[in-house]
Amino acid sequence: MTASRNSVLLFTLKNAPLIILVAVFGTFASLSSKFPTLDNLVNILVQSSSILIAAIGMTFVLLTAGIDLSVGSIMFLSAAIAGKMILAGHPVALAFAVIVVVGALYGAFNAFFITRLAILPFIVTLSTRFAGRGLSLMITETRAMNLPGLVQIGSTRVVGIPFPILVLGFVLAVGHAVLTKTAFGRHIYAVGHDREAAKKAGINTVRVLFLVYVVSGLCAAVGGLVLLSQLGAVSPTFGELREFVAIAAAVLGGTSLFGGRGKVFPGTVLGAVLIQTVENGLNIINADPYVYPLITSFIIFLAVFIDSVRHAQLQQLKRRRIRVETSA
Amino acid sequence: MGNNVLEYQNVEKSFFGVRVLRNVNLALQEGHVLGVVGENGAGKSTLVNILGGVVPADSGTIILGGSHYAPRNPSDAFRHGIAFIHQELNLFANLSIAENMFIASFPKRRFAAIPLIDRKAIRSKTKALLESVDLHLSPDTLVEDLSPGERQLVEIAKALAADARVIIFDEPTTSLTARETERLFAIIERLRSQRISMIYISHILGDVLGLCDDIVVLRDGEVVGRGTRGEFTLEKMISLMVGRDIEQLYPPRSTKPSEEKVLEVNGVSHPGIVRNITFALRRREVLGISGLMGSGRTELARILFGLDPFQSGEILLNGLSLGGCSPRERVRKGMAFLTENRREEGLLMGASVVDDIALASLPSFARTLLRLIDELRMRRAVDRVTDSLRLQYGHRQTAKTLSGGSQQKVVVARWLMEKPSVFILDEPTRGIDIGAKYEVYRIINDLAAQGTAVLFVSSEIEELIGMCDRILVMSNGSIQGCFERPDFDKEKILRAALRKDAIQ
Amino acid sequence: MYFFAIWPFTPNFASPQNVRNIFSNMLPLLIVAIGETFVLITAGVDLSVTSIMAMASVFGAWTMTSDGGLLAGSFLAAPVGILVMLLTGAVIGLLNGAAVTLFRMPPFIVTLTTMMFFRGFAIWFTQSEKISNLPRAFVALGEGGIGFVPYALIITLALAMVSHITLRRAIVGRWIYAVGHNVKAAAISGVPVNSTVAFAYVVSGLCAAVASILYTARLETGDPDPRQTILLDIIGAAVIGGTSLFGGKGKVLWTALGVLFIMVIDNSLNMIGLSHFKIMIVKGGIILFAALIDALRNRLLGSR
Repeated sequence: MTASRNSVLLFTLKNAPLIILVAVFGTFASLSSKFPTLDNLVNILVQSSSILIAAIGMTFVLLTAGIDLSVGSIMFLSAAIAGKMILAGHPVALAFAVIVVVGALYGAFNAFFITRLAILPFIVTLSTRFAGRGLSLMITETRAMNLPGLVQIGSTRVVGIPFPILVLGFVLAVGHAVLTKTAFGRHIYAVGHDREAAKKAGINTVRVLFLVYVVSGLCAAVGGLVLLSQLGAVSPTFGELREFVAIAAAVLGGTSLFGGRGKVFPGTVLGAVLIQTVENGLNIINADPYVYPLITSFIIFLAVFIDSVRHAQLQQLKRRRIRVETSA
Repeated sequence: MGNNVLEYQNVEKSFFGVRVLRNVNLALQEGHVLGVVGENGAGKSTLVNILGGVVPADSGTIILGGSHYAPRNPSDAFRHGIAFIHQELNLFANLSIAENMFIASFPKRRFAAIPLIDRKAIRSKTKALLESVDLHLSPDTLVEDLSPGERQLVEIAKALAADARVIIFDEPTTSLTARETERLFAIIERLRSQRISMIYISHILGDVLGLCDDIVVLRDGEVVGRGTRGEFTLEKMISLMVGRDIEQLYPPRSTKPSEEKVLEVNGVSHPGIVRNITFALRRREVLGISGLMGSGRTELARILFGLDPFQSGEILLNGLSLGGCSPRERVRKGMAFLTENRREEGLLMGASVVDDIALASLPSFARTLLRLIDELRMRRAVDRVTDSLRLQYGHRQTAKTLSGGSQQKVVVARWLMEKPSVFILDEPTRGIDIGAKYEVYRIINDLAAQGTAVLFVSSEIEELIGMCDRILVMSNGSIQGCFERPDFDKEKILRAALRKDAIQ
Repeated sequence: MYFFAIWPFTPNFASPQNVRNIFSNMLPLLIVAIGETFVLITAGVDLSVTSIMAMASVFGAWTMTSDGGLLAGSFLAAPVGILVMLLTGAVIGLLNGAAVTLFRMPPFIVTLTTMMFFRGFAIWFTQSEKISNLPRAFVALGEGGIGFVPYALIITLALAMVSHITLRRAIVGRWIYAVGHNVKAAAISGVPVNSTVAFAYVVSGLCAAVASILYTARLETGDPDPRQTILLDIIGAAVIGGTSLFGGKGKVLWTALGVLFIMVIDNSLNMIGLSHFKIMIVKGGIILFAALIDALRNRLLGSR
């Protein structure tokens, strides 16, 4: 009766991302035979790699009930600096190393205002988002930079695996390992669940909160790097609005905006792949490109809606305090 | 007989000038269980909070393990081997049992210079700890999948993991089933044999008698009874807790309740919260609702006011069913609710006092077409109420800077703006000084005299006896007794509050 | 209490042309900022205002344009067009409000999503093209005026006054502040929390629509993609003016001063010759600073 109905509902809620992905997949596969080819599937993975990398970093932040709206600007800044360096003749490896540091510093900058000065994360990252974009536009002088050499790197394959997926694999492995196998990772979950209890338990909450934003900055920079290697160019709209897609990927993958809940693998991976699948599928069936953002934002809305409902349910369950007798 | 692992010598504590503990002396022997009993507000929580490093003692000495003990904070207490099993558990529901155990001190192993959690080690250690508390679950189980009883056992296991020497249990069995309670007692036995000393606070006197080696009875912050288990009986504990009636002055009542029923509650139930509540409230009546913590008083009040739902039964206001209507509707129909936590749910801390007071009655000052507020009329009405309450405040002052008593008056004032027909007050005298308390009693009397029906929810039996026409006693979510004025007897009332549980 | 100190950062630009410039740019911004203030006071935020402006602009233009618009050439075109724009703002605002109150979703994500959605919608609807040839009567709103006083100023002043009175004297204004201070206490005191919060978002949407009317009239086209940096200007202006992100505090007058401040900064930095991007950076910094003061003030006054 209600018990089994409840468990079906619970199962759906818990596995929503996978179910939706399968549904979307099936829809597009039925609409076009070009969709479910191996080439296309690999393509989807490759296309999603840059945003997924950023989303992995975003997951760290969301787990602490925070938010990082500056990810797109970090991507842009990294690409801009790297582009400038490469055009100036510096070796590619050096440029890449530099932007990783830049990303970490940007994240630290955000982290400082959020942790030390106790300003709401969304306002801090909203401000740095604009400032960062401004800075990047300044560096690029609003002109596009063309770096055809990078595309070569972007399309190389090592043992048959495309470069973007290689980087993605590395970031994913490290991210997953940190979250599940290190004390720091477990502390992130604790802080996200109950910051006060975490403090009482002796966890250095300030340090945890600080580091997650640094991680996000790092991942955003790496994501920018990968995107740059795929596009081979930096335009003034590089990374525009990417932070929202990153948030969407994480939330769709089961990460809660309220903190304490979420996984990088399979969660965020599924989320990013889902979003990319939708875009890829729409492309293949020749849908109106203007429709993309509509569908994407609708999906985000749906994901957050599910998250909010689940959160409200959990709050309700906390009410019971009296001893329950043997009666039903 | 062992030596004393813990001693309190003349410990005193006051909060904001109110004495909470005076001249407390007690001793805890190694491997013994010390029961601490007393009414709400007797000082039990403060006593153990000092031990746990949550608040410092004002004076007196505490000896722990032979040396001077004065913890600066909970971590300090933790390091000294004090473990506190609170009612509100501090576990992370989104992590596994093993992770919760070692959250602050994970054993690590190196993997290419990166410190990773040694899962094998924490798994086996956790398993061993869980065995010692008779909990046969996998260490990887998520805490959110555990029942309250199981979570409590995990907390105990955590205490053991930290090599606690003294474990404090604060009302541990409130949310446990009978089976889980038995399991807890078995664990306590086991701990006892491991020479761990325990302090057990509970209002379930039967449990205390059955479990503890020594007992301490607190009343109004003083130790009024102290001895071994054999020296106490249920009767003796109750009479010590209750004591003789202190000279609390209550303003005389000028009116008698009328026969007219204003509020009727029939068979209201909500699983896990309240069970089969039936009573009637008459005009000009002051009806008290007594009961210990966890008895469901506040939950009932919230249900009556429409903040929380109920599954079965009905509530009638002036003969008409309230159904599921919102608090807003109930306010319009003449109900008022003073919550027990004025800071979280009562005051608008940042708004001016005038706006705070006028909040619930704004519609009556905005009758113009455009719904603009007639400020002059509003201010005058507010002044009238604050004068009658003898509340003073500055022109631009906000509630934040007022004293506790004044803050309470602000919330009361809010409801007095419109004469309520039913006024529910939940712990109205909590956290305010004697003088302000008297004012509140006076206000309640005036309200009743002017025709309001008052529901007075309180944990202080004395004030209920002093103020009410009738007293209902709740325990475990249902009504256990009803007393009329002539039968008011502190002991009997306390007994009713304990009755369900005392007979274990 | 926090008192707003204006630091008129006035280096050199008292020329009337410049002043007029600042003014005409400021008015639409002020209108939206006023709407945003309503939402901020409830401890929420509305990030979708730029997209509401786009939608209003597009829908309005579509109804009014003589290039095959709905009421092309008809004398009803302008008034109906305006009505359509206002309706658009109100409906989207209602959508935001419903999600925040009924579904209990966090305001910033809700309005972020609606921002993205409607931005995409506007662009899709117009296929990225601007709609021109709007009726003369409508365009006159942007240019003309009564005597010396431009219509834009009249509209802005009227809106500001109505908003001020609403917040200050109307019952719903008190409800808005109450919800911002302590939503639980407000609910217990009989405040219709859901309707009040939804109202704030509808107001924000309407204000965005009105601002869009002025913008569209001035630019004489329906534009699906206005400058995105406006968002930060709006929120920044409100916060600088003293509206708290934590809720419960805010006034129309304060926001107006905040908008003035931002415009002045913008203008003077422009005059100094700072590049567009450096200005973005500076603005980002200023908003951060304002948020810092807000956070400090919140902490200083103790827990809420």
